[in-house]
Amino acid sequence: MKHKLLPLSETMHYILLALREPFHGYAVMQEIEEMSNGSVILAAGTLYGAIENLNKHGWIEVVGNSGRRKVYKITAEGSTVLKLEQQRLLHILSLYEGSE
Amino acid sequence: MKKVKWFFNIEKEEQWLNEQLQKGFHCTGVSGFGIYTFDKTEKQYVMRLDYQDNLPKDKLQEYKGIYEDFGWNYVKGSWLSGIRYWQKEEGIQNEIFSDRESKGKYYKRLMGYSFWMGMLCFALSYMVYKDLSGFYHDGLWNMEGALFWYALLFETPFVLVKLSPVMLAILFASSFYSGYRNYSVLAEK
Repeated sequence: MKHKLLPLSETMHYILLALREPFHGYAVMQEIEEMSNGSVILAAGTLYGAIENLNKHGWIEVVGNSGRRKVYKITAEGSTVLKLEQQRLLHILSLYEGSE
Repeated sequence: MKKVKWFFNIEKEEQWLNEQLQKGFHCTGVSGFGIYTFDKTEKQYVMRLDYQDNLPKDKLQEYKGIYEDFGWNYVKGSWLSGIRYWQKEEGIQNEIFSDRESKGKYYKRLMGYSFWMGMLCFALSYMVYKDLSGFYHDGLWNMEGALFWYALLFETPFVLVKLSPVMLAILFASSFYSGYRNYSVLAEK
């Protein structure tokens, strides 16, 4: 059966993409706001829960501290997930093009 | 200013708290026995309630840290339940959940809490009621006139105390149902 986090939700997708660079929680939100041109603004509880969940599944990990804040980064396993999602989405996009 | 009110439904509690804030107050404390403390303020605040039970120390620190970075202030919660009270000045983002997934998980956490509290009260009821003889107060029903009424008044509080576990069990069951209803409404939207 498919992993329970797949296909990735918009929130999870953006967090994994943002964490290709190391960031602490609040910076992840700011990065995503910029990446999405202001259309995705995560709330505190949603961000906390998503980070906990991704960390639990080993898709992101703590790589250091910035003051009292934990700094996270994507793991090799997380990168594999992104690759698979990219292929899935590229295939769907190709279907869009085929119908025109 | 102190206000005393008891809630068995977290959404109603949140709604009531925000009604108080609308009247120009901000909340400075919540105690386990339903005592809420408010102070007058010129600013407009909003409160949001989350449910997270016993987080280990480092997780609690990370949990609080992220909320505080978003501008939320932790109003001290009660020691018994895992309800977390968050307050901030009204702004662009006044919610603590921004997607359906996380809101759904919140309702599930609430349902888990109500379920176990309900079970606890249910088990307590069983222990209290398995020996039913305590309920009948045989002597009482043989009394007459004024003595009967005095005795009835005297016994009533004891009966209410004996009934409290089952009443609590019913209240937690209703709060479980309300969590379930919210969860299914969210899933259908």
